[in-house]
Amino acid sequence: MAYRVLIVDDSPAMRTFVRRVIDLSGFELSECFEASNGQEALEILNHEWVDAILTDINMPGMDGQEFLRRLSQDELLRSIPAIVISTDATSHRMASMASLGARGYVTKPFLPEALRAELERTLGVPCD
Amino acid sequence: MIDTVIRQALRDSVNEVLEKMFFVQTLGEFSDLEVAGHPPEDEMAARLDFQGEPAGSLRLRLTSVAAKQIAADFLGIDAADVSDLQVSEVIRELANMTCGSVLSRVESSTAFNLSAPQIVPPSEEDTGSLWNTRYAVELSNGRLTVNITTESPTCSQPAESAY
Repeated sequence: MAYRVLIVDDSPAMRTFVRRVIDLSGFELSECFEASNGQEALEILNHEWVDAILTDINMPGMDGQEFLRRLSQDELLRSIPAIVISTDATSHRMASMASLGARGYVTKPFLPEALRAELERTLGVPCD
Repeated sequence: MIDTVIRQALRDSVNEVLEKMFFVQTLGEFSDLEVAGHPPEDEMAARLDFQGEPAGSLRLRLTSVAAKQIAADFLGIDAADVSDLQVSEVIRELANMTCGSVLSRVESSTAFNLSAPQIVPPSEEDTGSLWNTRYAVELSNGRLTVNITTESPTCSQPAESAY
């Protein structure tokens, strides 16, 4: 099965890298959408359904924390698993993002396998 | 003064970030004396500040040829096709990831907040801080130097996962 994924990051280079790493990992993408902050992501989600969201925290405009808050307040969108990708691996930050509704957390730097494993875990993909 | 906790975290972080995210192996380390003895060549630099305990800043300098190749490796394209804007974006991301990785390894009792990385003149020096830790590595086509200055020394605690 192939999945539709939304990548939210203010760095175009990072969005390119994440998409590349997903491809390298062997995770099957049918469609990949990109947004540079939470507001842009919500606009995309108004007319496109995705299976998973990968989001940064620190972004100009609507940041990752507010984006997760908005997702959790929406009856439909709250069912989409959101995974945070961040350089911040402190327990404070991880707990804070989990409390806002993040279902997964990948710390930069990461290997392609780690991103794939987190995507599969949050999507409930059975192990091979 | 050199913070030994930061020094070890910096060494581990630089190597891990380069290997995992940029697919780059370092060829060796430069001593502080060697780095101090080399005037800045054709380099570019990025800097970001962080708030927390301790607060401070990270400054990263990279020779231009190495910067272009690292950007190409990160984006998965040929170095000849990388624009200056893309190089800047990738070097800012390298600084961001390195700083986040270092601070996550020396987690204190408070959360850290990082500023957005900025491209700065390579000749810019951090002055006035008592704690200044530097780590420089040789790459196949240049040199990467990372400086972290903090207002006070660190105290490390183990982190727990919330997931």
